[in-house]
Amino acid sequence: MSSEFPDDLSERFPDVAALTAALGKTGYLAGEQLAAALFLAVRMGQPILLEGEPGVGKTEAAKALAAALDTVMVRLQCYEGIAAAEALYEWNYPRQLLAIRLAEAEHQHLADSDLFSEEYLLARPLLTALDHPGPRPAVLLIDEVDRADDEFEAFLFELLAESAVTIPELGTRKATFPPIAILTSNRTRDLHDALKRRCLYHWIGYPDTGRVAAIIRRRVPGASAVLAGEIAAATSRLRGLELTKPPGISEAITWAGALTVIGAEGLTAGAAERTLSVVVKYPEDEQAVREASLAAVVGDGHRA
Amino acid sequence: MDTEPDYAALATVLGLALRSAGIPAGPDRCERLGRALVVMGATSLTELHACALATMVADPSQIEAFERVFAELFYPGTMPRRPPLVAPQPGMSIDADSAAPGDEANRDPAHSADAPAIQRDVPVPVEAPADETGDSGDCEDLAEFPVVRRVASAAERLRQQDFNSLSDAELGQLATLMRELVIAVPPRRTRRYRPRKDGVRLDMRRTLRLARRTGGEPVQIARRAVRSRPRRLVVLCDISGSMEPYARALLQFMYVSSRTAALRGVRDATRPRTEVFTFATRLTRLTPALAAATPETMLARAGEAAVDWAGGTRIGAAVRDFMDRYGVRGMARGSVILIISDGWETGDPALLGAQMARLHRVAYRVVWANPRTQSERYRPEVGGMAAAWPYCDAVVSAHNFDALDDLLAALSAPSSRGRPALPLPVQSPEAAAGLAERDREPVASEPAAAASAVPSDLADHPALESLAHLTGLRPGNPPRLENFRQETPLS
Ligand SMILES: Nc1ncnc2c1ncn2[C@@H]1O[C@H](COP(=O)(O)OP(=O)(O)O)[C@@H](O)[C@H]1O
Ligand SMILES: [Mg+2]
Repeated sequence: MSSEFPDDLSERFPDVAALTAALGKTGYLAGEQLAAALFLAVRMGQPILLEGEPGVGKTEAAKALAAALDTVMVRLQCYEGIAAAEALYEWNYPRQLLAIRLAEAEHQHLADSDLFSEEYLLARPLLTALDHPGPRPAVLLIDEVDRADDEFEAFLFELLAESAVTIPELGTRKATFPPIAILTSNRTRDLHDALKRRCLYHWIGYPDTGRVAAIIRRRVPGASAVLAGEIAAATSRLRGLELTKPPGISEAITWAGALTVIGAEGLTAGAAERTLSVVVKYPEDEQAVREASLAAVVGDGHRA
Repeated sequence: MDTEPDYAALATVLGLALRSAGIPAGPDRCERLGRALVVMGATSLTELHACALATMVADPSQIEAFERVFAELFYPGTMPRRPPLVAPQPGMSIDADSAAPGDEANRDPAHSADAPAIQRDVPVPVEAPADETGDSGDCEDLAEFPVVRRVASAAERLRQQDFNSLSDAELGQLATLMRELVIAVPPRRTRRYRPRKDGVRLDMRRTLRLARRTGGEPVQIARRAVRSRPRRLVVLCDISGSMEPYARALLQFMYVSSRTAALRGVRDATRPRTEVFTFATRLTRLTPALAAATPETMLARAGEAAVDWAGGTRIGAAVRDFMDRYGVRGMARGSVILIISDGWETGDPALLGAQMARLHRVAYRVVWANPRTQSERYRPEVGGMAAAWPYCDAVVSAHNFDALDDLLAALSAPSSRGRPALPLPVQSPEAAAGLAERDREPVASEPAAAASAVPSDLADHPALESLAHLTGLRPGNPPRLENFRQETPLS
């Protein structure tokens, strides 16, 4: 059934290095182990769960993978109370009503099967991903699963196990190209064991300063290598202070952008002063940073 | 590169080690790791590490234990140094190295102060390539790695270890290896036909129907082939005291095999429909338990059915019971019958002989798995086995994993009916006297001939000492079904 899909992808990505390079081209710098885990997800057709604190690049990983695979990404953003109607499909009731009116006006009889047909089906992300016509499977991003409730988890579990759904009025639809499913979680709660057991797993940690600097350079081409390195180091020092919201990669990127805009050549205490609000979001955090001294944060001790 | 490591063995032993460290790396995960290694074509430790991390870990809190086990297993003596959490900066005035972990630990178990190799994406024990190009200088050949060799030889040993000396953990790990085996029986041909391009018979009706599309010209010739259906495999398994460890292992094999077929959707005509019965003094049908969620659950149910084992073994009565209750309703006819028993009949051997004759007449093939036949000197001189022997189409030992090959071959062989019955093993006169004696002894006290050829004490091997320690491979005491039942967690 799907024999041509793995062939195609295995030609494109014979090894982890090839996938790493393709991800790199999209601007995403994956660590060796994350790249290996994504490689396995693609080649084994196994869903993967990415966990990590906010901002470490979970969502971006799915986007980058879709771009690298040159395929569509279908995103399902989870939230509290999300249910099948929002995730899978819904009937287009207004159109159905319209059709009924029209039929009445023309004195025609409308059968149920006319009303509950493909024509009136609104595909939501999960169905869109299952129905994806190829030539490569879609990347299905199920983002922040930890926000949904366990009932929805159970529903996802079945869907992932079968790569198929049953719509009572239309029958069972099995994916021709089972999507490459990427689930993410910020770990606001533990996911169910059964769901985890179905998935490959990777914990994305906060990267070391070298990689953060490299990510900054990818995302903010105007930032010099020196500036990127200094921002990465300063961000990591900020993460060492016990802040309510420690800055992540996004903050480092935004910071680099702001510093580039004001034309800062390097990260001085003065430049940091002017851009601090970009990295540190809460007043009490700002207070803590000032107490630790901005000069120390930017590593001014060795510069002067 | 040229020698591909034994991935299944590697996955099995790593799983065993992780389990002993408290990571729930069950057989399903081991199997997935095996597949991952194949997909990646892993030849280096870095690749093994990456595959294992993606498949065996499911929570940040497990990473620390995972890294420790992995390092102990593959880098003995070089326990990972704790890596700096950020690269040290010259003149750094806020010590991020010491400040960060405390902060992280409050929010996430993965970041506990002594968790190695989490902050870095590259595992500490593996020499991290310095360059960013992905051109890792990591060229250690996985198969050549001493630990991998040891792992492979530990697995080899597991394969050769007598079923009666397996610990629960080892039995669980064998499940992974068992999944690779396929039980097949000769298909049953029916009188019905089905369309088939390479069928030998011409399908006239369909050919004509097709011809209507081509103006009556039979351009396409339709062919048909005999439709074949899977044959039934009926297992009668002795779960009396002396057979318990073997019964456990072989029932697990039946379970794993039927599950794998079902899970993979394999539905060809050689995959049997399997019926499983157990007996000591009473026959119990276990087939519904094959649908249980885990082999443990199934074995626990088998254990529940084994309440009567103290009463001895009545094989003849069990076969009669089977024939009277199920055989007459057609379950035996044309089936492959597998009897698993050491042949210790506490009832009348004559009854067993008569019932075997009855079974033999209707069955397609009768295979007897008797662990005692592993000894070359085994002769079915007296008692149950002697009475049953003439009605067996094949007798195999099935006493360890490697011996399952013979069992599979015996099950899938075409019927030998029409040929003379299985010849009795030829026997040297001097052996005859002693053997008749031996036939009356319980199998556990068999002379050491076979036992010493298969060293069951893993810890005796210096090279494996640390591995045995790590993996919790504990030879000795054959586990019993009762123990098993108690230990079985709900699943
Ligand atoms: N490895 C990386 N390579 C490039 N950019 C990254 C990487 N990791 C994170 N980012 C950037 O960091 C930001 C946050 O990433 P995101 O995927 O939204 O985090 P998460 O989903 O984990 O909360 C994004 O703007 C992304 O571009
Ligand atoms: Mg996100």
